[in-house]
Amino acid sequence: MTDAPALAIEDIVAGYGGVPVLDGVSVTARPGTITAVLGANGAGKTTLLRTISGFVRPRRGRVLVGGTDLARRRPEDIARAGVAHVPEGQGVITELTVEENLRVGALATRDRAGRTAALDDAYRRFPLLAERKRRPAATLSGGERQILVIARALMSAPRVLLLDEPSLGLAPKMVAQVMDLIRQLRDDVGLTVLLVEQNARSALGIADTGLVLNLGKVVAEDDASALAADVGLRRHYLGF
Amino acid sequence: MQEFLEFTLGGIAVGMIYAAVALSLVLIWRGTRVLNYSQGGMAMFTTYIAWLVIRHTGNYWLGFVVALASGLALGAILERTVVRPTEGKAPLNSVIVTIGLLIFLEGLAGIIFGGQYRSFPAAFSVTGLKIGGVALGISSSDVFTAVAVLAAAAALALVFRYAAVGLRLRATAFSQSVSRLLGVRIGRVLTLGWALAGLFGALAGVLVTPSTFLYPNSMDAIFVLGFTAAVIGGLDSPVGAVVGGVLLGVVLSYAGGYIGSELVLVYGLVVLALVLMIRPSGLFSAATTRRV
Repeated sequence: MTDAPALAIEDIVAGYGGVPVLDGVSVTARPGTITAVLGANGAGKTTLLRTISGFVRPRRGRVLVGGTDLARRRPEDIARAGVAHVPEGQGVITELTVEENLRVGALATRDRAGRTAALDDAYRRFPLLAERKRRPAATLSGGERQILVIARALMSAPRVLLLDEPSLGLAPKMVAQVMDLIRQLRDDVGLTVLLVEQNARSALGIADTGLVLNLGKVVAEDDASALAADVGLRRHYLGF
Repeated sequence: MQEFLEFTLGGIAVGMIYAAVALSLVLIWRGTRVLNYSQGGMAMFTTYIAWLVIRHTGNYWLGFVVALASGLALGAILERTVVRPTEGKAPLNSVIVTIGLLIFLEGLAGIIFGGQYRSFPAAFSVTGLKIGGVALGISSSDVFTAVAVLAAAAALALVFRYAAVGLRLRATAFSQSVSRLLGVRIGRVLTLGWALAGLFGALAGVLVTPSTFLYPNSMDAIFVLGFTAAVIGGLDSPVGAVVGGVLLGVVLSYAGGYIGSELVLVYGLVVLALVLMIRPSGLFSAATTRRV
């Protein structure tokens, strides 16, 4: 592959004061691929995503999206540059309706016509949301909310999608559906996805490449199938 | 029966002014969780600006429009300069800053305009209206007050509901971090919230001042009652602010009419205390806890 990376994280050091949570982390994601970010609780997975999207300011390193360094910019500007972050615990705005949640997603990057087109696309891809568009988002189930936040992230036509634990708290059947959806987005839209997961088996099932974080450092990095086949790694870090 | 009608209609008219003040407080609270104690001072100041314009041009409507425009500008400027640095800090910081702002604005008004009471004109006649010989307890000016506040509130509701900027305002009010993740420039949204609050405060100022006279502290009591109305409505609900304002206006009008009008401000505080004891989250709020 000679493609320039869609997302390149170079030697990031970041944390919340004191000991860094990320200690020299580098990640490269080729366009149109899914990269699984695995590791135990406290390994720095969520901090990695929060650093990319600007909520944590790195002390060192670069975050290149399409070749532009976005490190230390404000979260809203990073979002406008094409990085969509779906946080853990979902981040549905429960007081707004399903449709309003979707519309907020397109406000920053699209003109009026683009917003309408994006909404139509979302309803075509997710008929379930079309049926519920006038309802307050608070009335959706956990799985429906996960679909809503992913659909909302797509409204901005992002270059890079950051997903933090999309399977968290979902029933196994729903987990499979969400993973399937992420795979489809890569295959149909050519989206570049950074997928943070505790559920390493599901994540590696759809990912192209993966890396394992431990105590803020990358301890393994390979094709997803190779990681999944590494018995020692699975025992040590992945728990399956 | 005659008295009851007069007190009811009169209460609704005054309540509209509390509603405007309450709306201005709600607009800021829901976006930033800042209670703007300087709201009354801002409204007083913009009313002085209107007073100057009217005195020099003799044109009431020019003064009215200038007051609203300067309310917008004052809100935006104060947010950018004085309030922004308290963002994300402990809630007490913004409390102290906005109280300081109130003292500053009232002092500045005293220096520039003097402390004496000045009469401020009403848009329309203040003589009581009658239908078939029955006094209604309200004047054309009161009707204008009600229409102006309702029109402004309806315009706000339409913007909230249908405009992209209204969606930004609501999304930011409910979740700043999610809004930022979606690329909403919340700095601009917060400035806009303060500007709109300044507008509603200015509207309340020009509408109420014909009946209170204009002086540096002239909005203090109105602010307290507007705050009470906002709390009744739940502090983060624009609809609640309007309903709370009208409810408070009517209750105080009955109390003033049937018991005695000397203690209206005290009755207002009693209502506030009762609401805080019985239903501290207000009538229209979904929230169960509150930081201030």
